Amino acid sequence: MIAQVFLSVLLAIVLLYAVSTLRKAPVVGIAAILTAMCGLYLVWFPSHATGLAHLAGVGRGADLVVYTWVVISLLMLLNLHLKLRAQMEEITRLARAVALAEAARAAASDTMPPATDTAAAERTERAGAVIRSLAEAPGRASAAPS
Amino acid sequence: MPSHNPSVVVVIAAYNEASVIADVVADVVEAGYRVVVVDDGSRDGTGPLARAAGATVVTHPINLGQGAALQTGFDWALAHDADAVVTFDADGQHRVADIARLVDTLRSRAVDYALGSRFLGSTVALPTSRRLLLAAATAFTRLTTGLAVTDTHNGLRAMTRRGAARLRLRQNRMAHASEILHQIARSGLPWTETPVTIEYSAYSLAKGQRMGDALTILVDLFAHRMHR
Repeated sequence: MIAQVFLSVLLAIVLLYAVSTLRKAPVVGIAAILTAMCGLYLVWFPSHATGLAHLAGVGRGADLVVYTWVVISLLMLLNLHLKLRAQMEEITRLARAVALAEAARAAASDTMPPATDTAAAERTERAGAVIRSLAEAPGRASAAPS
Repeated sequence: MPSHNPSVVVVIAAYNEASVIADVVADVVEAGYRVVVVDDGSRDGTGPLARAAGATVVTHPINLGQGAALQTGFDWALAHDADAVVTFDADGQHRVADIARLVDTLRSRAVDYALGSRFLGSTVALPTSRRLLLAAATAFTRLTTGLAVTDTHNGLRAMTRRGAARLRLRQNRMAHASEILHQIARSGLPWTETPVTIEYSAYSLAKGQRMGDALTILVDLFAHRMHR
């Protein structure tokens, strides 16, 4: 009974997550909802799970439930991966806009005294350092030779 | 071919290329082209060296990858009235004389893309393992894009303004070479290949793509398709 409640809570969380992603990634959302529903059903009717497991050629119902859970996790992982990629594209566009704007500003100030350039370069360097430190946190930037 | 051609913008994407960038930029500038170096977040002073050698430098605040750097270069070139855009590798494996050949091809053959091919041209010191890897990459790209190219991963390309405007690179990392070909195929604009010479040095081989990258590229391309 404790296990059933525990699993139900977990699956309910998955269900909520799936519903919330429904709008952004309909395929992933629907698949996750269906899988979570199946999981919930089987948690509460283990005998049906055993029957189904035998049908599917799996030994025990509990095993089938575990497999279901694995599938759900993989779907969530895939969804997260896609989200990360989308986010990287946004970052790219932002960084590109910054780079181009900075180049245009530098070109415009070419006629000005070099002091201005140095100050601006320092500002850019500081901003770059902050952004770099943020970007490196997940450890995804390629390693730079020191 | 006139040696001074400011309507051509040569885009060089560079990430930590301090040991070679100055020579490469100086050669291209000397040939009369406008050069924009996209410094992809280098920490070894690549940007200032390129600027001192005569290039305009656009600096990514963080390292984004070669595909992203090329796209930034295209954006800069289009905003600065380029009639033709050339991509050129930072590691010194291309010959400056080939730029004129590619740009000439755009005009003489009336195409929007002239892609450098090392297999139509000559190759200096290409190791067998690299040749096999390139052959596999070429077969894969032919299969997926339908473009009968002989060399899919050549960094030397020329394109017209119209051609460059049709490219929107979204693959930041190495998969951009295939992505450019996909987008050329989709644009429906005319293209051709032009023989170019690649000089393999220990430096360019160390910086180039290896077997392990091939898998990364496949994963990138696959994930990209899923996303859309």
